[in-house]
Amino acid sequence: MITQIVFWFFAVVLIGSAVMVVSARNPVHSVLFLILAFFNAAGLFLIAGAEFLAMILVIAYVGAVAVLFLFVVMMLDVNFSQLREGLQRYFPVGAAVGLVLFVELALSASAWRIAPNVRDLPHARVPGASSNTEALGELIYTHYVFLFQACGLVLLVAMIGAIVLTLRDRPSAKRQDVAVQHARVPADTLQMMTLGLGESTTGNGGFRRPIGKSAEKPVSRPALVIENSPDREG
Amino acid sequence: MLPGIANVGLGPYLTVSAALLVLGVFGIFLNRKNVITIMMSIELILLAGEINLVAFSSALGDLSGQVFTLFVLTVAAAEAAIGLAIVTVYFRNRGSIQVEDVTLMKG
Amino acid sequence: MNWTLALPEIVLSVSGLAILVFGVLQRRDPTQVCSLLTLAAFVLTGVLVLLAPDGIGYNSVFVGDDFARYMKILSLAGAALSLILSMDYNRREGIGRFEFPVLLLFSTVGTMVMASSENLMTLYIGLELQSLAIYILCAFDRDRLGSAEAGLKYFVLGSLASGLLLYGVSLVFGFAGTMEYRGLQAALSASAEIPTGLVIGIVFIIVGLAFKVSAVPFHMWTPDVYQGAPPPVTSFMAGAPKIAAFALLLRVMAGPFGTASHQWQLLIELISMASMLFGALAAIPQTSIKRLMAYSSIGHMGYALMGLAAATPAGMRGTLIYLAVYLFMNAGTFAVIVAMRRRGRPVERIADLAGLGRTDPGLALAMAIFMFSMIGVPPLSGFFGKLLVFSAALQAGLPVLVVVGIVSSVIGAYYYLRVVKVMYFDVATAAFDRPAASVSLVSAGMGLVTGLFILLLGPVSSAAQAAAAVLFR
Repeated sequence: MITQIVFWFFAVVLIGSAVMVVSARNPVHSVLFLILAFFNAAGLFLIAGAEFLAMILVIAYVGAVAVLFLFVVMMLDVNFSQLREGLQRYFPVGAAVGLVLFVELALSASAWRIAPNVRDLPHARVPGASSNTEALGELIYTHYVFLFQACGLVLLVAMIGAIVLTLRDRPSAKRQDVAVQHARVPADTLQMMTLGLGESTTGNGGFRRPIGKSAEKPVSRPALVIENSPDREG
Repeated sequence: MLPGIANVGLGPYLTVSAALLVLGVFGIFLNRKNVITIMMSIELILLAGEINLVAFSSALGDLSGQVFTLFVLTVAAAEAAIGLAIVTVYFRNRGSIQVEDVTLMKG
Repeated sequence: MNWTLALPEIVLSVSGLAILVFGVLQRRDPTQVCSLLTLAAFVLTGVLVLLAPDGIGYNSVFVGDDFARYMKILSLAGAALSLILSMDYNRREGIGRFEFPVLLLFSTVGTMVMASSENLMTLYIGLELQSLAIYILCAFDRDRLGSAEAGLKYFVLGSLASGLLLYGVSLVFGFAGTMEYRGLQAALSASAEIPTGLVIGIVFIIVGLAFKVSAVPFHMWTPDVYQGAPPPVTSFMAGAPKIAAFALLLRVMAGPFGTASHQWQLLIELISMASMLFGALAAIPQTSIKRLMAYSSIGHMGYALMGLAAATPAGMRGTLIYLAVYLFMNAGTFAVIVAMRRRGRPVERIADLAGLGRTDPGLALAMAIFMFSMIGVPPLSGFFGKLLVFSAALQAGLPVLVVVGIVSSVIGAYYYLRVVKVMYFDVATAAFDRPAASVSLVSAGMGLVTGLFILLLGPVSSAAQAAAAVLFR
């Protein structure tokens, strides 16, 4: 009895927050309701005895995916009000189609039929496992290792994709080059000169970079040599 | 059948997941200009499939459903990352995330 | 456990990782080297596919048989051809980066896993691996709005389709309590009637896969994505992934759901008819060659589905041969599209082809061969493809389907012939830029394959026969 009450509590909150996800005006609210939906789905998983998945749902989904959504919503400065045009126009048709689909699915669900020979079919079971997590671990790392590795490839592709699409390598950006910094010696950058009394630096060639390794970049050179800049003349 | 799901039964689980599926599909057609809400609706559709898999897995005593759910969670996370990367690229080019459904419906 | 079954996939993935590491560590631009290495990996994998043993392995997750071999060779060939086209195009467009061949490689791994699926989990994960890489490739030209939009549209509709597919898989799992194809087959043949829940599950799976092969009514993404994505990516999308999605459709429908064929046959028939007619009619007003190819692809998928609708070994053989024929015609046509550049910029209007018969007779001849082959003029390859699916559908007692197929072929002839007319009889404008040797090689090679397909018909047909026989064991 108590299980049923808890189930329906989770189920109602889950459906309610799913409704809010698709209908909230502010997308930040949508993301927050998505998080609530995931928490309640985790509750449903717990009742069904899938405790490991319930934890993963909270950690991976709420912790990573939903936060990623939130991050993008806030990073992109989107005017969301104009995105809601046409909402009323589509609502009646969408609601009608959705209702029909739901009734059909719910009817087939209420009288769910299982194959008569389901006992004879091959099943993935781990008889000696003490917990759900242990049983899943047994299966993933032995029976389904091929799929496990394929999932690894999926994640790798996602990583490459996110980098290749969004990383901008600006050549003008200032970067640290540790090797160059370590190889720097005072003689490369510093030149001691003796100026007599009353002599100006301009007469001695201005502030110069010594001809060394650091002077290889011709771009930066004229800017640093003061004597070449016209506004310093005279 | 595990004790938890034996108390509740398979039907309620399937009904909840059917509602989530319908809400997800409905959300896509309702918010057809807002890509981020569309992506959240897709997450709801995947969640519906996951709830189904877990419920059947417990009811039939076959763990492959739960193993598959784990894989689906992985794939869904990857999908969200790629989708948001593409949204970012699109936003950079256009300055908005509004998808022109005019060309979408032309074909 | 016989792990050598998946040796081609393992070798291809490991070489992908190695190429990735090589590309990251290289200081100079490694794009060309990485592309060549990827090409070498494709060739090596192709050899390994031919040598791979038969059997079911990895705890009934993966199968190696003649069917998988046939589909894998086709998708490797499609991927390799697109890669050759991309090398020149990406360089000229300034989007050449070494991640491109790596992503193409991982997408190909996905198609190979799909071809070898023996479990609904393998189906889903292979499909996702393949699609996720393609979403990225579509948006690869990230500073062009069209490319980003193509990526976004393909992503949104593609993930909707895979979400529905997942829901279908979960319902099928709920019926049988297993996701292995042999277990599903046993479950279906033991039950006297097919419950509604299972039918809904099968329909959702068909919807998901029909989306991937861009069959009507799940085709809406095709024209926009074909037009927006970089042409080498489009040539890949039209080849390997569709072949892999067909591999799944054929394997799942003939195998586990074969006993319920009366439930899905009508659906496939309707999809096939709608695709053929829509592809033919909607292509007529198009002015962009890329959009034309998109509608043409929708139509061709309709013809290929005709063999599946027949649900007989002869029909499956027809579909397999049709897919091979389509792959080569399509790669050749896209080679011509990649070659369409004027003053360093790509052009894509059909009118831009005007006078190609005089300015570049070789390219025009190749294009004419592809167009005539797509109509189905004998003795070009397209004729044999159509002949085989038509005869299989007739034998299976589907005359309406054949009539629709012939009518839409005749309608389709109009716009294919228009391209030929523009090339040979319209007043020439400026000549195209000189195409790269690799692009000319692909167009000439595919022209030869398409034109002289009659010489290849024997071996291809026997391979397809063997592959189709496996499905009905």
